[in-house]
Amino acid sequence: MEWAKESLEKVEGSRAARMKQQAPMPSDPDLILKNFHPDYSGKERTVNAGPNAGDQKFPLELADLLEADSPLPATHSTVTDIETDVLIIGGGGAGAAAALAFEGSGLNVHLATKLRLGDSNTVMAEGGIQAALAETDSPRRHFADTMVGGHGENEPDLLRILCEGGPKSIEWLSQLGCLFDRNPDGTFRLRGGGGTSVPRVLACRDYTGLEIMRVLKDAVRLSSTNVLEDHAAVELFDDGNSTVSGAVLYDRKKASLVNVSARAVILATGGSGQLRLQGFPTSNHVGATGDGLVLAYRQGCRLAFLDSYQYHPSGACYPEALAGQLVTEAIRSAGAQVVNSEGVHFINEMAYRDVLAAAIIKETQEGRGITTPNGKVGVWLDTPMIDLKNGEGALAKQFPGLIHRFERYKIDPVKTPVLIYPTLHYQNGGISIDSQCKTEVKGLWACGEVTGGLHGKNRLMGNSLLDILVFGRRAAESVKEKISERKLLTLNNLNEFRKSQLQKQITSPTFFPKASKMKLEIGKSAVEAETTDSSSSETSGGFEPPDPFAR
Amino acid sequence: MKNIEIKIAGKPISAQPGETIVHALWAVGMAESVQTGCAGGVCGACTVTVRYADGKPGGTELACMKPVEEGMEVFPCPVEPDKAVEPVINPDALTLQSVFPTVNRCTKCGSCTTACPMSIPVMDSVMRMQQGDFDAVAEDFTTCIHCGLCRFVCEDKVKPHNMGLWVRRSLGKSQPELQMADEDLNLIEKEWQHLMTDDKQERIQRAKTFREKGSQ
Ligand SMILES: Cc1cc2nc3c(=O)[nH]c(=O)nc-3n(C[C@H](O)[C@H](O)[C@H](O)COP(=O)(O)OP(=O)(O)OC[C@H]3O[C@@H](n4cnc5c(N)ncnc54)[C@H](O)[C@@H]3O)c2cc1C
Ligand code: SF4
Ligand code: SF4
Ligand code: FES
Repeated sequence: MEWAKESLEKVEGSRAARMKQQAPMPSDPDLILKNFHPDYSGKERTVNAGPNAGDQKFPLELADLLEADSPLPATHSTVTDIETDVLIIGGGGAGAAAALAFEGSGLNVHLATKLRLGDSNTVMAEGGIQAALAETDSPRRHFADTMVGGHGENEPDLLRILCEGGPKSIEWLSQLGCLFDRNPDGTFRLRGGGGTSVPRVLACRDYTGLEIMRVLKDAVRLSSTNVLEDHAAVELFDDGNSTVSGAVLYDRKKASLVNVSARAVILATGGSGQLRLQGFPTSNHVGATGDGLVLAYRQGCRLAFLDSYQYHPSGACYPEALAGQLVTEAIRSAGAQVVNSEGVHFINEMAYRDVLAAAIIKETQEGRGITTPNGKVGVWLDTPMIDLKNGEGALAKQFPGLIHRFERYKIDPVKTPVLIYPTLHYQNGGISIDSQCKTEVKGLWACGEVTGGLHGKNRLMGNSLLDILVFGRRAAESVKEKISERKLLTLNNLNEFRKSQLQKQITSPTFFPKASKMKLEIGKSAVEAETTDSSSSETSGGFEPPDPFAR
Repeated sequence: MKNIEIKIAGKPISAQPGETIVHALWAVGMAESVQTGCAGGVCGACTVTVRYADGKPGGTELACMKPVEEGMEVFPCPVEPDKAVEPVINPDALTLQSVFPTVNRCTKCGSCTTACPMSIPVMDSVMRMQQGDFDAVAEDFTTCIHCGLCRFVCEDKVKPHNMGLWVRRSLGKSQPELQMADEDLNLIEKEWQHLMTDDKQERIQRAKTFREKGSQ
């Protein structure tokens, strides 16, 4: 990193002095937020169609999708291809937890997911999961921390359920076979996180989501759940009487549409970071395009708090290939400071995420950032401090993922700080649900990142992994209690929606990031799709990848 | 920056130095040719094999993490998941051998270790599995992303990552249950009522005090 030599020398020069000092918390966090947080940039508007027409504002990119037309052909048939009791849409942590909670219920469960099972935001989670397990802690204290962090906007009922579900969820995961980091005495290792007043974050190194997702995935594969991979939900069916009765899926491998009739539908499609609001990079997986928001909205579900997104303060900013990818907050908890181009520790890194992100944007806008050869600007995260504080090898032991990712690019975070800039990370808002995960429309439940209300206007680290476990399973419990008879499949709600004012030139959901140029080719008739399918499997069937070790 | 040329399953495409294989495919509208999930190196969807023009040894890679190189040839190499195996309480070497009979077929060829994109000492860990050194196995597979490449390259049908997960889950299931402390339910409910007051302003004030003290 020759191009940053001068600034790096300043960072090294000030390190010894900085080690001994805590930087102050910002004196006027609200002012920093108003002036520098992307939520306040004014790049938002109200929408003109659907249940939120004319009320709250949405980011411009999302507002367009909410007004857009469905990609489904107007003549689409409503003949059932698959009949199931429960259809779960989304194969991340929330969907998997819901599926497992149906075991033994006698209900037939299908789980449809756009990518492969587990390819999701969940598997990417690094830092950890919150649960009130410390002696000085309690679910009430967890509630208080989260309420303050969410600026008092969290739905209290949902939040209480979340916090009370912490210890039980950890126990549930442990019994499934999750291994969280432990102290030498065998107790769980708990760390602090931005906004926690006591150590409350459990982790499996910096691969917490990977550990949880691979265990859930394995358990789902061993369960009676029917998993439909590479099946993206395109639209929901209703019974003509405003009750959701199934979904249209797109089978990506066969390029064909599949009609599913279900007595209950659970949406667990996760977030929307890949909409890359305001041109920000994102930490999210490629399927995070807000599909569930669009599907639910067309059925008449109101959306809440979608004017608020979480921009994670530490997205990688260099090298370019890693741009937007997460550098976990736990590194800051462990002692790495955020430092500007002059080597000044300008803010206490345990400030709330939104404030810290805004403060970093402020530094760069006011000329105290570091410009990369690709023209991106960021500030330093002083990772070498971890070993200085906690002993040699501490960084590698606790954060193998960080080292692994950077070493390919000949950057060793043990010796050199990494460059960071806020990255679009989490959809704070989403579909409104009640304390049973019911949406405002009958027959439709929702859980996980696709929902809104729980986290208020700012989510704390480690609360959404807990969210998906607690509410994923809760959605299943509620379905078991409330499941109704099978209903007709109609596209009534969609047809009604199509009558209101629409942007006819674009369709939604988008399914994939714009940059990927991937599209679902729904226009094809079933016959066409079938013929292209059989011919393509012939050509690709005989292909064998070469032996990787042949010289 | 000058563009370079790489080949995907025989088809030449142009790419930018510094970008990954996945991003190069996106740029030319060929995203569907390699299955992608996280685009961040943790889901294991984007497995490929690569060969280099200059004759240096190729191998297996994650397309979302591997930067493009001039003349590189890339072959999509999707790995289907293997049948899952139910974990057990208190696992030992004998149980492992009975549910994964191929564990003893390992010829110590080392291909799995070479193939692993996460630098896991896979072959050594297979030895540890044979010996029942399961704590070490669990540690080895902490960072396993289940891409399946180790199984894919093993000519002797050993299934290192399936066994690794089985060991981890089995050890996990054998952990003692979490002891929940007995608590005064009346006091707890009182605290909840205090915190959940209807007045929004008051609620955040109370939360502020509560989080400092840990009680009302
Ligand atoms: C890099 C990163 C790090 C994080 N770190 C942490 C952390 O340390 N602690 C924490 O608590 N939280 C963390 N989070 C947040 C947390 O991981 C997510 O909020 C949470 O896992 C969301 O789970 P989910 O099941 O709701 O959504 P996801 O896990 O994203 O799953 C949604 C699934 O639905 C699928 N899907 C989408 N659209 C469709 C469709 N149309 N049809 C069918 N399927 C569809 C998706 O492909 C995906 O598989 C992190 C997030 C990211 C991205
Ligand atoms: S590839 Fe198979 S045979 Fe070779 S070392 Fe690995 S497990 Fe053993
Ligand atoms: S151990 Fe096997 S499955 Fe796991 S990351 Fe390595 S190659 Fe992939
Ligand atoms: S896409 Fe997930 S590892 Fe490459």
